[in-house]
Amino acid sequence: MTLQECYAALEGDYQEVLGRLYSEALVQKFVGKFLSDKSFQLLQDTLKAGDYEEAFRAAHTLKGVTQNLSFTRLYQSSHEITEALRTKDYDLAVQLLPKVEGDYTRTAEAIRAYQGG
Amino acid sequence: MPQKREQRYTILVADDSEMNRSILRSMLEESYDIIEAEDGLQAVAVLQQREQEISLVLLDIVMPNLDGFGVLSAMNKYNWIDSVPVIMISAESTHTFIERAYDMGVTDYISRPFDMMVVRRRVINTIMLYAKQRRLAAMVNEQIYQKEKVNNLMISILSHIVEFRNEESGLHVLHIQTMTEILLKSLARKTDKYVLDRETINLISNASTLHDVGKICIPSEVLNKPGRFTNEEFAIMKQHSQMGADMMKGVPFQDEPLVKYAYEICRWHHERYDGRGYPDGLKGEEIPISAQVVALADVYDALTSTRVYKPAHSHEKALTMILNGECGTFQPLLLECLVESSDIIQQEMAVDTVTRGDQRIMENTAAELGQYEDLSATDRTLFILEQERTIHNFFASISPNILFRYTSTPPMLSLSPVGSQRLGLEETTVDPYHNKRVQELIDLDQLAELAQLLQGTTPENPVVEFDGSVLLDGRFKPVHIICRAMWSFEDPPQYTGAIGKVLETREEENR
Repeated sequence: MTLQECYAALEGDYQEVLGRLYSEALVQKFVGKFLSDKSFQLLQDTLKAGDYEEAFRAAHTLKGVTQNLSFTRLYQSSHEITEALRTKDYDLAVQLLPKVEGDYTRTAEAIRAYQGG
Repeated sequence: MPQKREQRYTILVADDSEMNRSILRSMLEESYDIIEAEDGLQAVAVLQQREQEISLVLLDIVMPNLDGFGVLSAMNKYNWIDSVPVIMISAESTHTFIERAYDMGVTDYISRPFDMMVVRRRVINTIMLYAKQRRLAAMVNEQIYQKEKVNNLMISILSHIVEFRNEESGLHVLHIQTMTEILLKSLARKTDKYVLDRETINLISNASTLHDVGKICIPSEVLNKPGRFTNEEFAIMKQHSQMGADMMKGVPFQDEPLVKYAYEICRWHHERYDGRGYPDGLKGEEIPISAQVVALADVYDALTSTRVYKPAHSHEKALTMILNGECGTFQPLLLECLVESSDIIQQEMAVDTVTRGDQRIMENTAAELGQYEDLSATDRTLFILEQERTIHNFFASISPNILFRYTSTPPMLSLSPVGSQRLGLEETTVDPYHNKRVQELIDLDQLAELAQLLQGTTPENPVVEFDGSVLLDGRFKPVHIICRAMWSFEDPPQYTGAIGKVLETREEENR
């Protein structure tokens, strides 16, 4: 699997990220790092625990990271949940969580598949 | 000459996401040294210790513990924002967010997702802009200093030539200059009848040194004759004021205010307020204020100096004679200035006048620089601060004592190396009240009691002594803490933290 195919699988924009970071090696490095980023886990835990302030920060970080990597699909859903938490619409945030989880799983799987060869 | 190190700028990246810091680092580390901070408190801690080294802060807004706005508040409070530029990085593109950040002094704004080219360009532009501003500030500072110095030097040489021929010490000229300045400053406070801003006072005081320049045209047999003048000799002597004025009319810089004041002073410093002086018999306010002030200064210095024909009078005696009208008549307001400035005149005249000249240059440089608000944080001041910091850090590093410093906003505790070692605590602890290790070291009630004592002090009486017990070298020991509360210069003063020393009390003394 090529990096470009990995981006296709997680529904990201490979051309866009390459245009900003200028090198495939850098993109590859940060895609690899994404799996160790804790913000998704933190969002899941804090939202379930009802710690909405912390959940907002986690969602916000996840949104920033995915935006930087042009993970368009996961960016979209983390953006929505960030806005729900920012406007204190917690019911909506809880409703949106499964979508974020689904998109995260899809993204993580694509990256693992890419790393596996 | 030591070789200049290649300039490599340091950037502080404050972002709570490791991923984002890492992306920025990759984009910038080739050309810059990068320091990372994981939240606002860490960023402030880094700035507190290394502000001088940091050329730029890349600041995220949404962060735990202390957010980007909190960091900006601290940077404004400690004036770091004047010398360290900040570029805000955030996906927050809400208008109010950006506006607030700009209001708090950020220079530029980078939005996510990061584009390598944009990040690099904005960083280099901002750093260069600030570096250039600092260089320019240093240059202006140097130029003003040099200008003042050369000006004073030239005038002083010229007036010494006059004095030399006059067989007087050069002190007379310097005394006149000092007196003129003191009297004019006092006059400026009392009345707005004359235009006496700092620049004008400076010019008149400088021009005053030329008051007797006409004496170089007086034959030396007359000029230096011991004993009384004949009427004829006195008539010749009196010509010096007109001659000085003619010289000033002959110099090619007629538009220069200095020359204009020098002309007034040369010509009219022997006029009297009642109209009985020479050469023109001007009366009252017909005499320019520059000449009125120099006339008074001249009389005072003549009275208090030794001359071939008389001993020096005391300050008090001179004042009495002048006020009694024994040495001419002066504007009453000016005499008030003389009486009111009595103390400062005595002080200033006693100071070695050469030293005073230097001091004067420094004061004028500082005053002139003070007009340009943007230049307040010049390299010179920064250098002095940096030196103080180095001295402080060195003494702290070799001290066998447990020294500490606490700042209240943001809450942060710094320890000397020995303190850090014996307490088993990092040299810098952010938010110590909520730090587990700190809570193990000292009973929180004791800490609260100490804090209360410190906050109960006043700026005049800031020192507090406290006996307590602290976990030292692994076991609880009785200690004596001497500390000083730090108060701000605001009105009313605000409590900003404390510095102090922890002393181990000998246990046997307690028994």
